[in-house]
Amino acid sequence: MQTRHPLSLLPLLFALALALLCSACLDGAEGDAGGDRADAQKGRGIVYASTKDIRDINPHLYGGEMAAQGMVFEPLVVNTASGVQPWLATDWEISQDGKVYTFHLRQDVRFTDGTPFDAEAVRLNIMAVLANRQRHAWLDLANEITGCEALDRYTVRLTLAHPYYPTLVELGLARPFRFLSPKCFVDGGTARGVKGLVGTGPWILKEHRLGEYALFAANRDYWGAKPKLDFVRWKVVPDHQAIILGLQKGEIDLVFGADGDMFSIDNFEALKATGRFATAQSQPIASRAILVNAHQPFTRERTVRLALQYAVDRQAIVDGLLKGSETRADTLLSPRVRYCDVPLEVRAHDPQRAARLLDAAGWVMGPDGVRHKGSERASVRLAYNASNAQERSIGEFLQANLRDLGIEVRLLGEEKQAFLDRQKSGDFELQYSLSWGTPYDPQSYVSSWRIPAHGDYQAQLGLERKDWLDAQITRLMTEQDEEVRKALYRDILTYVHMECVYIPISYSRTRAVYNKNLEGVSFGLSQYEIPFEKMRLAGETGTLAR
Amino acid sequence: MPGLVLRRLLALIPLLLAISFLAFCLAAASPSDPAEVALRVNDITPTPELIEETRHELGLDKPFWERYCVWLFRALQGDLGTSFVTHRPVTDEMLRALPPTLALAGFATLIVLGLGIPCAILCFASAGRPLDIVLRGLIFLGSATPSFWAGLLFIWLFAVHLNLLPTGGLSGGTSFILPALTLALPSLATYTRLLRASMLATAQQDFVLYAKAQGRSRLAILGQIVRNSLQSTLATLGMTIPKLLAGAFVVECVFAWPGLGRLCVTAIFNRDLPVIQAYVLFMGLCFVLFNLFMEVVAGLVDPRIGKGGRAR
Repeated sequence: MQTRHPLSLLPLLFALALALLCSACLDGAEGDAGGDRADAQKGRGIVYASTKDIRDINPHLYGGEMAAQGMVFEPLVVNTASGVQPWLATDWEISQDGKVYTFHLRQDVRFTDGTPFDAEAVRLNIMAVLANRQRHAWLDLANEITGCEALDRYTVRLTLAHPYYPTLVELGLARPFRFLSPKCFVDGGTARGVKGLVGTGPWILKEHRLGEYALFAANRDYWGAKPKLDFVRWKVVPDHQAIILGLQKGEIDLVFGADGDMFSIDNFEALKATGRFATAQSQPIASRAILVNAHQPFTRERTVRLALQYAVDRQAIVDGLLKGSETRADTLLSPRVRYCDVPLEVRAHDPQRAARLLDAAGWVMGPDGVRHKGSERASVRLAYNASNAQERSIGEFLQANLRDLGIEVRLLGEEKQAFLDRQKSGDFELQYSLSWGTPYDPQSYVSSWRIPAHGDYQAQLGLERKDWLDAQITRLMTEQDEEVRKALYRDILTYVHMECVYIPISYSRTRAVYNKNLEGVSFGLSQYEIPFEKMRLAGETGTLAR
Repeated sequence: MPGLVLRRLLALIPLLLAISFLAFCLAAASPSDPAEVALRVNDITPTPELIEETRHELGLDKPFWERYCVWLFRALQGDLGTSFVTHRPVTDEMLRALPPTLALAGFATLIVLGLGIPCAILCFASAGRPLDIVLRGLIFLGSATPSFWAGLLFIWLFAVHLNLLPTGGLSGGTSFILPALTLALPSLATYTRLLRASMLATAQQDFVLYAKAQGRSRLAILGQIVRNSLQSTLATLGMTIPKLLAGAFVVECVFAWPGLGRLCVTAIFNRDLPVIQAYVLFMGLCFVLFNLFMEVVAGLVDPRIGKGGRAR
């Protein structure tokens, strides 16, 4: 008989020691972190769940979540449904030639570290952004600003190279023109990191455990309407289903997201149907479309692209897949968007017409149910981001629509980075596309069509008048005359509509599911903002969130 | 025994070099341009000038072998580079994420032992009878259930429906239970079946017959069988720990566990190559070292192994 050697217990002892040692370490870490959390949670706050961590919310860079950046850092002006409104600047003047903007600042604002918010702070922040100009290539304003001066303690002058018309709108975006306390700068700037994340906003970032949570406490000295909650805990839950289960258990109070990044329409409708949660949807905020690449063999022909427009049953997508929660899109940008109320031909679902167009273009149905033209086969790839709950179902629907027409669709669900690689290389026939939404639409979105890293640029490359299109966009950005600007937008939008580079699907909305005790849940103008400061809890006492 | 350890340690050097080379090659073979990825993960539009600048910053403009040697040299000093996403040292990121994963793997190992041994004994004691069949059926189900599904079912049952445990996150002792159970499930099934089979084989050995002839109690004989069988499953159990470490990524995503697996999954989705390289290197190291460790333990338990003999 073999005898038991004491070493045979080693794995058991090892596991035990490992578990105890690590849990002891973790308890310590929890305890340390728990102090601040306990302080913050003496009040009344909520747990907001997101699949993403807030990461680095340096407002002059792009590594962090925009909603979190917006909680802490504020702009000079804000974009609202009624246009640009004052925020940290009370008013401004624009020179006759449109190149000089003079802003008068609020005099009662301080950063949460006590540093006064004044013209020098504005100047330092804008210079910090410009010192890293290359990183802001997507934003024309960063390239247009030639100087920033503090005229007196509360007056700032911004000088532009050209009379860039979206200046005020772009100053109001979530980044990069937001203000960080100059005490947080490293080597006089923010490009190489910052020493702290101190803004003037309604929330203070109290604690951040990467990949776990971020705790935002209300800024009690805030100059504006003070937040009605004491804290917001931004909890990171990577799995969509786990978010829904957390909501059902009551551990999560709010889920907020756009375009299926938090939950699919099915999940949203299912949660709504339970009657246990309050739900809300924003006004249409961005454009959902399929980008048709005019620079690929099959989709190079305009007739083919036009046939695709008639082949897709957009109303069925809206009614079936989107459960009627979105509005059918007949044009790329909604006529509600400024400058986009352009009279364009509406192309209703008409599969017979689509078939006739393909027949006329020489694409004849083969015995395998797929059309052919010589040796070429009517086959396309539809690329989409595999982690988005919505995109796959829309892709499958399109696949069925186009199969009826004799076009084979291969679905390419890819990780986000692979999807972006494909976008940049232009190696696709169809690609899922979502516009940036207000307030980026139309100016920033249209402007991005000129950048080769964008799918729009690649898809438009095959257009006969691509150079003209880019030149029109460039001209548009510095056009001062409102009527000429409208005419330029009309020309641009008409051209891309006539060339059928986009199959419009719907105008998407941001959605929220939340605890019924939570009131004041509303939507900002942008799909990337979450107005936590307007939220409040019903009842007088108690802490809702753990 | 010292000779064996020394020989195995020496043999580790080329193996570790090969692992490091593979880890580096995997990243280098990625279809995405690392410079572009480093820009895009930070939502920066990659213009040609910016790509060039970033390539230079990251040292990607240097030849492959030079980059590998520099990376290896720094890795040996504990510097695994900087994350494209968080811009923090990868070593710090790994050290931050390692304790939660180690703790989870440790608890999961305890569950494997705490549930696996009694289950195997029950199966063995009732071999061929309904209890054995039912238990083996459950074990089969456990091993066949994907972790993400099992995790979601556990959350639904224990957290939402029964309201006994938290749905996820690292927030105290109770938060370990569901992720550790989910992580342990496949290993539990494997280990239970292995131990049961080993016990059935041990029961056929002469010393068991001798003990029976001596008129020893059934309990005493069972104790002897269990002890001897445990020893023979030692190596499997030892290798379970690195498998649990490596297999934690699904569980960590479902349970929002801030561990190494989730760090790696996030890095994969973001193409955060320095983190992916470091994770592959670390896991390779773990498997190799645990393998060595278990060989040493097995050699100590059965000296014939160390002398080049064959264990029975």
